[in-house]
Amino acid sequence: MLRPIPVVMRMLACLAAALALMPAPAAAQTSSLYSNLANPAIGMNALFSGTAARNLDRAYGLHFDEAEISLISVVDPYWTLVSNIVFTQGAVDPEEVWARSTNIPAIQLKLGKIRGTFGKQGLLHTHAFPFVESPIVMVNTIGEEGFKAAGAEAAWLTPLPWYAELTGGVYEPTGPDGDHPLDLGSTRHDNVPFLGHLKNQFDLDDATTLEVGESYLQGRGGDGVRRAALGADVTFRNVPPRNSNRGGWILMGEYIQKGSSAGGSFVREEDGGYASFQYRLSQVWWAGIRGEAARNSVADFMVDGAGAPLAGAVRRGAANIAWMPSEFSFVRLEYSHARANRGVHRDDDRVMVQMSYTIGYHPAHAY
Amino acid sequence: MKSSLKCVSLLLLGLLATSPARADLKVATSLTDLASVAQFVGGKHVTAQSLCRGFEDPHFVPAKPSLMKSIQNADVFVSVGLELDGGWLPLVLPGSRNPRIQPGAKGFVDASEGVTVLEKPIGTVSRAEGDIHPLGNPHYYLDPKALEVVAHHLADAFSNLDPANAADYAANAKAFDEKMDASLEKWQKQLAPYKGTSIVPYHRNFIYFAERFGLKLFTTVEPKPGIPPSPHHIADLADAMKKAGVTVVVYQPYYNADASHEVAKRAGGVAVEVASEVGGVPAATDVFTKFDSVVSTIAGALAGKAGSR
Repeated sequence: MLRPIPVVMRMLACLAAALALMPAPAAAQTSSLYSNLANPAIGMNALFSGTAARNLDRAYGLHFDEAEISLISVVDPYWTLVSNIVFTQGAVDPEEVWARSTNIPAIQLKLGKIRGTFGKQGLLHTHAFPFVESPIVMVNTIGEEGFKAAGAEAAWLTPLPWYAELTGGVYEPTGPDGDHPLDLGSTRHDNVPFLGHLKNQFDLDDATTLEVGESYLQGRGGDGVRRAALGADVTFRNVPPRNSNRGGWILMGEYIQKGSSAGGSFVREEDGGYASFQYRLSQVWWAGIRGEAARNSVADFMVDGAGAPLAGAVRRGAANIAWMPSEFSFVRLEYSHARANRGVHRDDDRVMVQMSYTIGYHPAHAY
Repeated sequence: MKSSLKCVSLLLLGLLATSPARADLKVATSLTDLASVAQFVGGKHVTAQSLCRGFEDPHFVPAKPSLMKSIQNADVFVSVGLELDGGWLPLVLPGSRNPRIQPGAKGFVDASEGVTVLEKPIGTVSRAEGDIHPLGNPHYYLDPKALEVVAHHLADAFSNLDPANAADYAANAKAFDEKMDASLEKWQKQLAPYKGTSIVPYHRNFIYFAERFGLKLFTTVEPKPGIPPSPHHIADLADAMKKAGVTVVVYQPYYNADASHEVAKRAGGVAVEVASEVGGVPAATDVFTKFDSVVSTIAGALAGKAGSR
C-alpha cells in the first residue's frame, strides 16, 4: 500500500518542476531592461546644530536636526513630481510630495502634500531660513516651518504689467498639533480649509526689488469654530548685477495673526511679527540681525515652576554671521536675547551654531 | 439672462476676431549672446531679449519674479544649456506659467545641442573639484564657430514655429555664417602673433576662445570653479606666473577685479576686463562687436599696450 506523500514534499516537488520549466537566464543579461536614465534628480541636505541656553533643560552638544532628501523628476508631458522627505531623529516626514502642472497658461497647479503659500518665511525650507530659529510668531500661528498640508493650489500669474500672483488653495483638515498650531481639524463635511495669497513684486531699479504679500487661511477647528490666520509681508532685496555672487542685502518684515470667530466676531489670539536685515559681506560671508515681538505666545523658555508652557508677550533680538564657502555648505553662529512678561525665566540668552551640507542635486532657492 | 450671455459671447468673439495677427516671434534667451544670434537669424520676424544681462554672472542670476513675468508671453525660450543656467532657470521657466516654452515643448531650445562640448568630465564627477559643470564646459559662446552652430539651430527652431518665414531664417543663418567667418579671419590675424602664449582667466570660461585662437590657459585666478582665491593662492599663482613668464590676467565685469589685479601686479603683468557676453562692456553690442572687443583687448594686453599694471 502506497503511503500518501506529505504536503510539504508535494509543494517542494511542484516548486522543483516549476524551476525546471523556467527558461534559463540569458548568459549576458544587461541592465537595459531597467534603465536608470529617467531617474529623478536626487539631492540631500543635512542640518546639524548646537545650542547653549541656560534656561533650557537640554544637554549641550551637537544635535542632528534633519536630513532632507529631495527627489524631482518629470512624470510625463503633463506633470513634474517634487518631493522632500525629511528624516529627523526617530521619525520620517514626507514634508512635501506634490505634482506640478505647467500646461495651463498663466496658472501653476500643485496637487499633493504641499507647503501652503502663506507668508514669506513659511515658504522656505529649514536650511534656507535666514536665522537658526523660526520667528516666534510662526511657531505660534501657522507652524514652525510654515503651513503644510495635503491639498491643491492654483497660482495665477495675472496679466497686470508687473508680477502679480494670486494663489488659491484648499486643504485637508489639519491640527491642532506641533506642526499645525492653527486648528483646522474639524471633521465636519463642510470644513474645507482654504487659503488666498497675493504676491506683488516690483523692480525698483537695476538691483533692488520690492515684494509685498498678503495671506489668508481659514477653516473650522475641532470644536466647529471658524479659525483663521492672516499675514502680510514686505521684502526689499538688493542684488548688485555686477556683484551678484559677492554683495547685496535683504530687508524683510512680516506680521501674522491667528484668531477665531465664535459668535460672529473675529477674536485675535496669537499675533506678532519680525523684521530682519541680512547683509552679504563677501562671496562667502553673510551677517544678519532680527528683531521680533509676539503676543499671547509661547516660547521654549516660557514655563512655570513645574515646567508647563506659559503664554505671554515676548520680544527677541538675534544676530548671526554665516560662512558659506560654497553654495553647498554653511556654518552659522547666532546669538539671541529674549525677554518675556511671564514665566520663571523672564530673560533668555542663547548661542547657537548650525551647519548645513548639501550633496547631489540642489534645487534652486526661491528669490 | 440669455440675452446677456449672447452679448458676452458676441463681445468675446469680436475681440478674438479683431485681435491683430501676430507677425513676430517673441524670443527670450538666458544669455545676451543667444539673444544677439536670435535677433540676427530672426531678423524682422523676431524680437529677442535676454534674461541675464551681459555684465551679470550667468551662473548666479537672481530668479526674480519679474523675470518670470517677462517671459510669460514668449514664443521661444533659448537656454544656453549644459547647466550654466541651472541655478535659476528651473525656477524661472515654470514660474512663467507659459506652456509654450517649457522643456519638451516646441518653443524650448537648448542652444548647446550640436555644439562640440569641451572639458566633459571623465569618470566620477565630484564637487571636490569645485562647482564644476558635469555636462562639460558651457562657455561655448566664446567660440565664433560654435555660434554658427547655434544660428542654424535657431533657424530650424524658428522655422518650425513660423514656417511661413522659414526661407528668411535659413538665409539669415547663412548670412550669419558668412559674416562670422569673415570676422573670424580678421580676429585670427590679430591674435596670430601670440599663438601659444598663455593667459590667466579668472574663471575657466576661456577654453573655447583659447582653442579657437591658439592661446593657452595657464591656470585660473580662482583655485577651483566657484571658489574665491585666498591670499595664499594669489601669492602662489603670481609666483608661478613670474616663473613661467605669463603676464596677462583676464576677468569679466562680474568677477573679482581686485583679486585679478593683485595677481597681475605681483606677477609683473597686467589684468584686463573683457566681456565674455554681449553687453559686458559698452562696446560689445552684438556678438561681432563682442569678439572685436575681446580680441583687441587681449591682443593689446599681450602686446603690452593695454591693461593696468
